[in-house]
Amino acid sequence: MMAQPSPWYRRLGGGALPAILLLVLMLVVYAIYEPSALTSFGIGNLLNNAIVLALAATGLTIVVLTGEFDLSGAGVVAICNVLAATLSMGSLGSMGTLGFVLLVGLAVGLVNAYLIAVLGLQSLAVTIGSLIVCQGIALIILPAPGGEVAEAIIDGVTGDIFGIPYAGIMMVAIALGWTFLKNTRWGISVYAVGADPVASRLSGLNVASTKFGALVLAGLCYGAAGFVYSAEIGSGDPRISDSFLLYMFAAVAIGGTSLMGGRGGVLGTLVGVGILTVMQKMLFAIGVAEYYTNIFNGLIMIAAIFFGQLSPLVARIAHRRPA
Amino acid sequence: MPVALQVNAISKSYGATAALQDVSFQLERGQVCGLLGENGAGKSTLVKSISGVIRPDSGQILLNGEPYSPKSIVEGNQRGVSTAFQELSLVPTLSVALNLFLPHPERNKLGLVPARKIEQQAAGILEEYGVREIRPSALIGDLPLGVRQRIEIVRAMMRKPSVLLLDEPTAALSDREWLFGLIDKAVAEGTSILYISHKLDEIRRLCSRCVILRNGHKVMDSEVKSMTDDQIFTNMAGRSAVETFTSRASVIRVDARPRLEVRGMKGPGLEKVSFKLAPGECLGVAGLEGHGQSNLFKALVGLSPVTEGTILVDGTEVSLHSPREALKHGVTLVPEERKSEGIFSDLSTMANISMPIVDSVTRFGLVDHNAERRAVTAVTPSVNLSDRFLPYGIGALSGGNQQKAILARALISGAKCLLLFDPTRGVDVGAKQNIYAMMTAFVRDGGSVLFCSTELDELVHLCDRCLVMYRNAIAGDVPRDELSQDRLLSIASGFRAGSATAPASRVGDVQ
Repeated sequence: MMAQPSPWYRRLGGGALPAILLLVLMLVVYAIYEPSALTSFGIGNLLNNAIVLALAATGLTIVVLTGEFDLSGAGVVAICNVLAATLSMGSLGSMGTLGFVLLVGLAVGLVNAYLIAVLGLQSLAVTIGSLIVCQGIALIILPAPGGEVAEAIIDGVTGDIFGIPYAGIMMVAIALGWTFLKNTRWGISVYAVGADPVASRLSGLNVASTKFGALVLAGLCYGAAGFVYSAEIGSGDPRISDSFLLYMFAAVAIGGTSLMGGRGGVLGTLVGVGILTVMQKMLFAIGVAEYYTNIFNGLIMIAAIFFGQLSPLVARIAHRRPA
Repeated sequence: MPVALQVNAISKSYGATAALQDVSFQLERGQVCGLLGENGAGKSTLVKSISGVIRPDSGQILLNGEPYSPKSIVEGNQRGVSTAFQELSLVPTLSVALNLFLPHPERNKLGLVPARKIEQQAAGILEEYGVREIRPSALIGDLPLGVRQRIEIVRAMMRKPSVLLLDEPTAALSDREWLFGLIDKAVAEGTSILYISHKLDEIRRLCSRCVILRNGHKVMDSEVKSMTDDQIFTNMAGRSAVETFTSRASVIRVDARPRLEVRGMKGPGLEKVSFKLAPGECLGVAGLEGHGQSNLFKALVGLSPVTEGTILVDGTEVSLHSPREALKHGVTLVPEERKSEGIFSDLSTMANISMPIVDSVTRFGLVDHNAERRAVTAVTPSVNLSDRFLPYGIGALSGGNQQKAILARALISGAKCLLLFDPTRGVDVGAKQNIYAMMTAFVRDGGSVLFCSTELDELVHLCDRCLVMYRNAIAGDVPRDELSQDRLLSIASGFRAGSATAPASRVGDVQ
């Protein structure tokens, strides 16, 4: 018997299909109302707006796939932002600062991973704790908005090369990186552990080390997100990432990743990030007052989850043929 | 013959329950040894100890003469022990091919797992083991249970283990001959197999020796040929010398309309179940675990969906979509899992009992504690629950007293029909006697009891009649004068047909 390839919609992660359609629709509407949207400047602007959430939500997606939660992301972004705003003008320089914030992300990830994967504590509770601790540390480092991010970092992150914005390159790198990772043994066990931890254990997979790796990788993603964020806003603000957490979860859910674990993926999350970003620009272009955008964001999220529930059903019916 | 696996006096306890006590046996190379026992006898614990899923508290295992104490299932695999688990260990969201090669699928130079390539390899392996109708790229979750069981078996066998553990491998399998063929082939290649099953015909077909466990102890280890079916059944079921049963006269009200009648009920895990339960009758439900008893009880109070069939209470057709609706018609369930489905562990014993009638003992919307106490103390004597327990949190009570409180709750609701699912599981002998007395009094007063138990002697002594479930259907309906443990166990094992009216035994059917 010949091995047949999986259908293309399954490769896209199934649940992401309605989100992709929605993103395309919103881009079209946005482009009609705002013709400059499709210029290279418009696209670059869009990508720069999306990349921070993309990095952070990528980390969260990996943790959610293993069946755990991680709320610490917003806290790590806050610490990294104030660190960049206070350190990057000093002797550390821009590369040193990048290294340092990644280490901070790694450290938070390691603490989470030890408590959750090794000691078996509940991830939601543990990461609420680490979120609050991180926010507290950020306030100690920089009690009020201020500081300054080195010019070199701002140019290095928000600039472009041959007209291609760095944000776009990072976005593609995330997508490629995940496509690679999810086809490794570790990536496969991430999905397996999230879908059925008992069967995974009986199959010989190491549930604890899989979760450990996911939480540590997520910490690194949050650190990178904090660094890029600092470059975008050019200064430090210990409280500015507070609303960020809900958007991270929204992006993951809209992108079709099951919050129960085992289903979905980073590509869907990137689509979810796109939807949340384009949404704000689209509503602004149409002329909807800014106060309303949250209402639409929330409604879109509920709608996306509703259609996400339907799409595996549709896929299954389309896929039904003699086994 | 050389010994492949030697188990020396291993024991394993979970809390106060001893799952295995001093169990020893030998498995010779190229031998198939049967492992029999009732539910909870310790078979699965023994399998998990040998496969590396759990570590025994004491004792020693030798594998091919060398000490063997696996810290993980992977280590067990590497040492040449592999297992097809009863609960199936396949990951539903992964493909058949990936599942076959877990935990270490092949990878290429980049570290990627090449999906196409391993699907081709999987196709070859499936072909080799005679599984032809499955695409290796199909997701496990999309496949029916019987197919998953085959894949589980193939996965255990393809590793070419020296010791193979098969834990109830035919539970969901329609084509047993397929498995028997594979076993014969593996044995010819020198594999030693521990074969766990309830089914005596399979043991006779495959095994030269068999080990019988009861309550965590080995009670028999002998050549299969030298034993009669009766001897095997008697050893599996055991006789309890401590418990005495007072025989009672039948109080069935034959002329009355059936209290509960079920016609052709179908649903997930239930196939065409029909029976009648008269007022004053105690109707037993026997069966090995997972043959639909739990589904039946849940379906009767709307906790499990019913796709076909009708339920009549006192001759009137009713729809019971929730336990609340069932209670309105006088039907109430005492559930299987006392801890998770039965008690509110943070509330007092009093509040646990008064739950169904708490609306009727309120004044101005607040609970009137005197009225509550009067209502509760009216029923507690029937289960012999002492009043002094009432103020305590129910979590502090012993299992037996918790169960009495739950039965008091069922009585206080005024139900005419009790559905009791294994009410004596994990309770002490004294409490058991109290529960039997309460059931006897309940039917004497015209109530009806549907009584499921994993302890066959209870069914034999308490029931007016006993249904036996096998493969989600009623395989036998044994009248009181024919009730015996052997009879029930043999029908429940699918070994012989229950009665002339019951469907013929489906053991041998081949799809």
